[in-house]
Amino acid sequence: MNGESVVQITNVHKTFDNVVRALRGVSAHVLRGEVLVVIGPSGSGKSTLLRCVNGLEKVDSGQVVIDGTDITAPKVNINKVRAEIGIVFQQFNLFPHLTALENVTLAQKVVRKRSKEEAEEVTRELLEKVGIPEKADNYPSQLSGGQQQRVAIARAMAMNPKVMLFDEPTSALDPEMIAEVLDVMLDLAKEGMTMMVVSHEMGFARAAADRIIFMDEGRIVEEGTSSKFFENPDHQRTKKFLSKILH
Amino acid sequence: MAVGEAVTKKRKSKVAPWTQALERVPWWALILILIGVYISYSILNSETYHDTFLFLSEGVKTTILLTVVSFAIALVVGLITGFGRISDNIIVYNIATFYVEVVRGIPLLIQLLYVAFVVVPLAVQGLNAAGSFLVNLGPAGFLAFVGEPLANVNIQNVNMLYRAIFGLALGYGAYEAEVFRAGIESIERGQMEAARSLGMSYWQAMRYVILPQAIRRVLPPLGNDFVAMLKDSSLVSALAVRELTQLAKLNRARTFRSFETYNTAVFLYLAMTLVLSIGVKVLERRMSGGK
Ligand SMILES: Nc1ncnc2c1ncn2[C@@H]1O[C@H](COP(=O)(O)OP(=O)(O)O)[C@@H](O)[C@H]1O
Ligand SMILES: [Mg+2]
Repeated sequence: MNGESVVQITNVHKTFDNVVRALRGVSAHVLRGEVLVVIGPSGSGKSTLLRCVNGLEKVDSGQVVIDGTDITAPKVNINKVRAEIGIVFQQFNLFPHLTALENVTLAQKVVRKRSKEEAEEVTRELLEKVGIPEKADNYPSQLSGGQQQRVAIARAMAMNPKVMLFDEPTSALDPEMIAEVLDVMLDLAKEGMTMMVVSHEMGFARAAADRIIFMDEGRIVEEGTSSKFFENPDHQRTKKFLSKILH
Repeated sequence: MAVGEAVTKKRKSKVAPWTQALERVPWWALILILIGVYISYSILNSETYHDTFLFLSEGVKTTILLTVVSFAIALVVGLITGFGRISDNIIVYNIATFYVEVVRGIPLLIQLLYVAFVVVPLAVQGLNAAGSFLVNLGPAGFLAFVGEPLANVNIQNVNMLYRAIFGLALGYGAYEAEVFRAGIESIERGQMEAARSLGMSYWQAMRYVILPQAIRRVLPPLGNDFVAMLKDSSLVSALAVRELTQLAKLNRARTFRSFETYNTAVFLYLAMTLVLSIGVKVLERRMSGGK
């Protein structure tokens, strides 16, 4: 870690339909090689925050800077920035008409302009890494939820992103498949991947998080290192929330 | 009550085996096949039918050509308009919607007449004006070279077949636009988001992620519309295009043999739509089987 921010979020506001104030002045950052875990009750704005980081949602005001590029500036080439940001969704969102291999190679060819051979080589390595090399030629419908999510992680990793965003990657999974996905994420964290993870998997947070943010009602209520966070949170609301999800 | 029940039961148990079998026979298809065999036989053996068939078969070619070309253009128009209907650009959206709403609100026959006798002549006038303008810009070689032919396009020379194709394509384009729009919108939002967050542009995401999935869903309605257009192409007889219906009318006027003429026309239309429907089904099955 060299102290420079890959993600720098400054005073971001986001309102939906003029009434739903999803983000009310959020500031946060993720340093290179750092793992930031975001927790908070449902509807607190976690997904919206992640989506603002890769421009899937436009901020109303405030600034998001990714590795030096202000993506909230008016003339930014958002496609170019997004190629540098991987995101893994709760619902996987694999392309159902493509095999696992094709899911991972598509953007490499279309966006990164890699040759078919090169893209497939990268893909096979990644599928090996996420533990499903034998599923390369299967369609998403032929894979379990855990396998699909691992393909989705490989698909994002194939772009060599500067940061990986995860939006509750295990909450749509059957319990017995959660570990296989978390293991892959832990490996990434150990390798020094910069990560911003929305998750209530406290085992993962303890093992991988450098810092934890607790959000409520569109604001960051508390932020701290993972040990401080679990052992001695400052705020009553944080304590209440933790006691709920820890048991 | 009890008596009635007993009677029905009795009838059922006694007569059921072979009436049920009879009920399951697709009589309509059998009758259709018999008529088909009768007409085919007549075409081969009866002088009148044979003559009618030869006269109408030119029209079959024109009908097929008309339908295939018009539908191909309608697909392109429909796809482009469909994108317009989901566009964030309000100008594009409004132009596309105007076209769709107008076309869907008027009868196809009127559209064909309007295109043939209003739109095309106006377009030709426009071309003439543009041509003269270019010629008048100066004697310079290139401008005159382009301008001369434009200035001299004569409305008389624009074949009714072309006008009919243009009319059918515009008429069906509006419906295909709605088919494409619905197909694209039926693909869940997460697909576009996943593609865009990998760095693909909107059009790359469309091309590689959304359309391949949408095409599978729109194939059945497109297939239906193709068959429907084959039938609707009979309306261009109003433009005196020598397709099947027009030739049937001419044949009747020529021979006064209404019965044979229209039997043959019906037979030919049915043969075409049946073959097409089967083709569409096969294609659908192939596409959905490929996963
Ligand atoms: N596209 C949207 N349109 C309208 N409201 C939205 C939209 N996305 C999120 N919201 C609202 O914004 C708030 C924050 O949502 P979200 O960021 O999904 O929370 P979380 O991920 O923490 O559960 C919620 O009240 C939600 O209903
Ligand atoms: Mg969420």
